[in-house]
Amino acid sequence: MSLEIKVPEVGESITEVTIASWLKSDGDYVEQDEIIAELESDKATFELPAEKAGVLKIKVQDGETVDVGTVICEIDTSASGSSDKSEKKEEKKESKSSDESKSSESSEPEKTGEVKEMIVPAVGESITEVTISSWLKEEGDFVELDEIIAEVESDKATFELPAEANGILKIVAQEGDTLEIGATICKIEVMSGAPSSSGGDAKKETKSESASAGGDSSSSDSYAAGHASPAAAKILKEKGIDPGTVKGTGVDGRITKEDAENAQKSASKTESKSEEKEEQGSAPVAGSRNQRREKMSSLRKTISKRLVSVKNETAMLTTFNEVDMKPIMDLRSKYKEQFKEKHGVGLGFMSFFTKACCQALLEWPAVNAAIDGNEMVYNDYCDISIAVSSPKGLVVPVIRNAENLDFKGIESEVVRLAKKARDGKLSIEEMQGGTFTITNGGIFGSMLSTPIINAPQSAILGMHNIVERPVAINGQVEIRPVMYVALSYDHRIIDGKESVSFLVRVKELLEDPARLMLGV
Amino acid sequence: MQYDVTVIGSGPGGYVAAIRCAQLGLKTAIIEKYDTLGGTCLNVGCIPSKALLDSSEHYYNAVNHFKEHGIDINKPKVNFKQMIDRKANVVKQTCDGIDFLMNKNKIDVHHGMGSFVDKNTIKITPAKGKATEITTDKVIIATGSKPSSLPFAKIDKKRIITSTEALSLSEIPKHMIVIGGGVIGMELGSVYARIGSEVTVVEYMDRIIPTMDSTMGKELTRASKKIGIDIKVSHKVTSIENKGKEVIVKAEDKKGETVEFKGDYCLVAIGRRPYTDGLNLEAAGLSTDDRGRIDVDDHLRTKVDNIYAIGDVVRGAMLAHKAEEEGTFVAETIVGQKPHIHYKLIPGVVYTWPEVASVGYSEEELKEKGSEYKVGSFPFKALGRARASMDIDGVVKILADKKTDEILGVHIIGARAADMIAAGVTAMEYRASAEDVSRMSHAHPTYMEAVKEACLAATENRPIHI
Repeated sequence: MSLEIKVPEVGESITEVTIASWLKSDGDYVEQDEIIAELESDKATFELPAEKAGVLKIKVQDGETVDVGTVICEIDTSASGSSDKSEKKEEKKESKSSDESKSSESSEPEKTGEVKEMIVPAVGESITEVTISSWLKEEGDFVELDEIIAEVESDKATFELPAEANGILKIVAQEGDTLEIGATICKIEVMSGAPSSSGGDAKKETKSESASAGGDSSSSDSYAAGHASPAAAKILKEKGIDPGTVKGTGVDGRITKEDAENAQKSASKTESKSEEKEEQGSAPVAGSRNQRREKMSSLRKTISKRLVSVKNETAMLTTFNEVDMKPIMDLRSKYKEQFKEKHGVGLGFMSFFTKACCQALLEWPAVNAAIDGNEMVYNDYCDISIAVSSPKGLVVPVIRNAENLDFKGIESEVVRLAKKARDGKLSIEEMQGGTFTITNGGIFGSMLSTPIINAPQSAILGMHNIVERPVAINGQVEIRPVMYVALSYDHRIIDGKESVSFLVRVKELLEDPARLMLGV
Repeated sequence: MQYDVTVIGSGPGGYVAAIRCAQLGLKTAIIEKYDTLGGTCLNVGCIPSKALLDSSEHYYNAVNHFKEHGIDINKPKVNFKQMIDRKANVVKQTCDGIDFLMNKNKIDVHHGMGSFVDKNTIKITPAKGKATEITTDKVIIATGSKPSSLPFAKIDKKRIITSTEALSLSEIPKHMIVIGGGVIGMELGSVYARIGSEVTVVEYMDRIIPTMDSTMGKELTRASKKIGIDIKVSHKVTSIENKGKEVIVKAEDKKGETVEFKGDYCLVAIGRRPYTDGLNLEAAGLSTDDRGRIDVDDHLRTKVDNIYAIGDVVRGAMLAHKAEEEGTFVAETIVGQKPHIHYKLIPGVVYTWPEVASVGYSEEELKEKGSEYKVGSFPFKALGRARASMDIDGVVKILADKKTDEILGVHIIGARAADMIAAGVTAMEYRASAEDVSRMSHAHPTYMEAVKEACLAATENRPIHI
């Protein structure tokens, strides 16, 4: 495309100008805003900037006098730069102004005519439908192959949806829509050639990048892009804006103080959306009789269905016991520091409980078994599901072969899985196939509960709050930290003897952790 | 009296915190146990040691270098009393400066021992007179540190001394044995070596200034030997005895054999410990950890939510400028701002000659982290400016990320390294790459050109002047 550059109006009384000198030669590649010529009028000299980047074609030579409005040169914007470097610069400049970017977007990559239809992938055997939880890209955006364009939720986990081609996004399913496996989510109008990665699209890209992308996002030119200067960092923190959502205008995309001061307006779209949500969900005014209705997420719908069916289909019973937590607490306070220093993870209660359960499960295999039709399936391994409350609801990732792991192994698995749960990054595989579940209602302060079995498993251990209680020790009343533990179990497969003995065994192992080591 | 903020301790952490609080409109009090404000740094640390370092450096140059510069003088003599008096005068002027700043910012200064009555009440017990009590909304503990001692050797302050006494001796030691080759040991060791003492540094680790990049330790060892300091590394001191006019230090060397050093003074410079004596922390519900430090969170808040602690009494390097940053940080946090300290970018300095300064990761730390890095270095020898002033000892070492070229560490030993390191901090705060720095114009001839050249060396190994 060729762009004609005319002599601009420079003042009301000036009607003609002389080309004092061309600073660029015919056929040169010029960048946008670069000064290409000096013009002289009878009142002043002024500079002529290039309105677009491209190859210059001079029409009026040095020394000639022309009227205001005369076309003096053309810039061929479809031509590429003479070197990679200038191209890069050009792209950066373009990304500065959004209306510029649109035209360059349409002029750079070419449509191939092919349209890629993206369908809901099969994400796990038992999953039949998914919900679009959010689009990270907008209709008409240029997306790159493998770039994450949407977040999709199933009843078990959240997935990220990568683009299957380079091109223009056409959204078919809207946010909140529930789709069956195989249904069309979106279409991508495939485009050939480099998508000018940091070109026209760059601005939108950084805009929609989620907070987690931070400064080192793949779309940035440099490792330092998005790095806030000390003063800028303070301003952003006070405004509560993630530096990852701010477009830096400093060298290589660094965020300057000015960027930070102006940040609010250009804060990311996704962020402002979540802010809106937070506002909606903010504490109600006292006395207000306002009611709100929110759609159940598919995760919550599934949880509710499953919980009810488990209650209806099993003969569930709960048995309780109490554990004197003093020995474990002593052990923890004694070795907490050393453990952390040596292994890099904290020594929590989970490792003790998991170890104790594994040992007891191996002794009472029915607790670790499941009913399958007319058969009972016994497991010679302990895959312990741990209940983690994530922002989207309760999830139960699995620690595999927990019976073979040491304390460090268990603690690091707990930390790894809990973190993934919190970030909504757990995969289906990571949540399938547990043989026994441990849940800790105690972290929210519960003292007693009857947890519901995590089907198809047959038993679940409930941990609770630790409270000081007077207890009789060798005929003396002592104050001890006590935790009530509960075991809910399916009476169809586990008899009272097994369930109660299992729980007593767990209690014994916890009250004298040395037995864990000795296996007695 | 009722205050918004009360700062206990008037060292560089405390007085900076107080000034920043006052600037932010808080009614502020500061409590100081000693007669003069300024804490360790101004009274018995940074300022007096730098005064003596400069005096002794001048003397050393007069004796050893003036002739080469073409200045013939009669053999100069140390007037040690005058040297110490000048130091005292510098200290006095600087401390008076703090009084002025307190007045200017309308901060109430209370002299006396500050101690907690409860979390909002502080008792001030002056050396003479009656104790008073003030109430306060917030408290900033900035009581600093004291020199550490060895369990088997009592500091008698006569022959077995700490840095405090070493700054006010009445005679030039004949042979000073310095226990500890850290910052304080090397600085004071070089003061006395320059003015004629025989100095032996006994260090437990296998190198001096062990917290810094090992190249710095090597270079400083070389430079220190030039002025006659005898350095014994990998020596574990086992006893120090004051025999009246003589001190005998026994140590175990690498092979486990006992070595004996005799001198007239022994300076124990093995580090410092947090100082919280007399604060009555328990009354506020506070305690210290196993190393005597007050536990604080990322916002420097103690477990009692209106009490903060900064500087040497909390975790982190014991540096005046670290305390200053923390003072500002807490003051701004109190009024609801969200400041930030980049702890990895707090520079460390040794004021020997040549000076040593560093910021960011050392090569050893990067190795341990498993980072992929590259090294660029440039010797002062190859600098025009260094030749002109005969300060040719030293090297600049730049560590940069192998892939991104981001500067990860700047280590300088050489003339004016302490001032030059600021450029390293600036570059690293903005995550500059080695090439970024090497493409910035540096005035010629200056010492800073060594930084540019080292960055060029780190970029593609293309320094110009070597």
